[in-house]
Amino acid sequence: MAYSDKVLDHYENPRNVGKMDAEDDTVGTGMVGAPACGDVMRLQIKVGDDGVIQDAKFKTYGCGSAIASSSLLTEWVKGRTLDEAASIKNTEIAEELALPPVKIHCSVLAEDAIKAAVKDFREKHSA
Amino acid sequence: MHVNNEIGVITDIGAIGEICRAKKVFFHVDAAQSVGKVDIDVTAMKIDLLSACAHKIYGPKGIGILYVSRKPRVRLEAQMHGGGHERGMRSGTLATHQIVGMGEAFRIAKAEMHAENIRIMALKQRLWDGLSDMEEVFINGSPDQRVPGNLNVSFNFVEGESLIMSLNDLAVSSGSACTSASLEPSYVLRALGLNDEMAHSSLRFSIGRFTTEENVDFAIGKIRAAVEKLRELSPLWDMYKDGVDLNSIEWAAH
Repeated sequence: MAYSDKVLDHYENPRNVGKMDAEDDTVGTGMVGAPACGDVMRLQIKVGDDGVIQDAKFKTYGCGSAIASSSLLTEWVKGRTLDEAASIKNTEIAEELALPPVKIHCSVLAEDAIKAAVKDFREKHSA
Repeated sequence: MHVNNEIGVITDIGAIGEICRAKKVFFHVDAAQSVGKVDIDVTAMKIDLLSACAHKIYGPKGIGILYVSRKPRVRLEAQMHGGGHERGMRSGTLATHQIVGMGEAFRIAKAEMHAENIRIMALKQRLWDGLSDMEEVFINGSPDQRVPGNLNVSFNFVEGESLIMSLNDLAVSSGSACTSASLEPSYVLRALGLNDEMAHSSLRFSIGRFTTEENVDFAIGKIRAAVEKLRELSPLWDMYKDGVDLNSIEWAAH
């Protein structure tokens, strides 16, 4: 399988790898996928009082495209509002990384991950 | 299948041959992975038909053999029709250079097999010794009833394809060559009772005639570094380290 240079770059030098305290009120956590399917992404966002994402961290179990999709996403969501982040489409990720058709599901998983993280943050603050 | 292509486990062909002969069922053995690696005696093992190919034993690609016993007599229907060469079983002009190449490959394999097996077994042990002290690393398939050159290992919490990406200095494989383009976990490993994630986390290493101790040591270093790097990236490794039982989580299968 041929990987694009961007996938290889994110895979070799993943951005924003790490873990935040999921109990922290300013943190939203999205974990999507399943080990049995070969992909699990955990994406966490730290949100400021102004509703802007200040920081993002990820860890991913999966193929190179899954790692690259989540690494790219952490770069993209920083500085965006929750609504802006939740409206990122998988097609934008797939296009940026030039994912082949068999790897499109990795970008879908990344979109699911940011939506789940935003939802988790909002649920913490809805009560 | 005399020797399994993914895990290198040797099937007790003699025992199956006994049963087949007693029940008067013809016995056709796929020996692609076993010729030149284990002793084969078609009479003692009661094999009626046996297939093998040259390229698995350093011969040319594009040629193989079909052994057909004379007694008991096996009636075959030809797949290729024409002038009736090879007693009608395979019509068409034969590729002499390929036949000679295969014959020489088999001659060398027969001469060197037993000494080579000892050398390769030692190299495999060296490779396993270099990996087995890592946490959550497992051999798939029988450690003993196995051809010397095959080592199939699961690195828990690391996904096989991304591991291969990190090992671009090595020629390794996840699953079998025939299915490497598929994203499904190996059905062979699933049949051994591995769960999907352990099957996704497997790699197959093959050691052969041209593998050296230096090659093995180089591979050990690369593999250890890659597994450590990918575990740092793995949320599953995090959870394992935090004592979370991964089976207790309701995953959203996709």
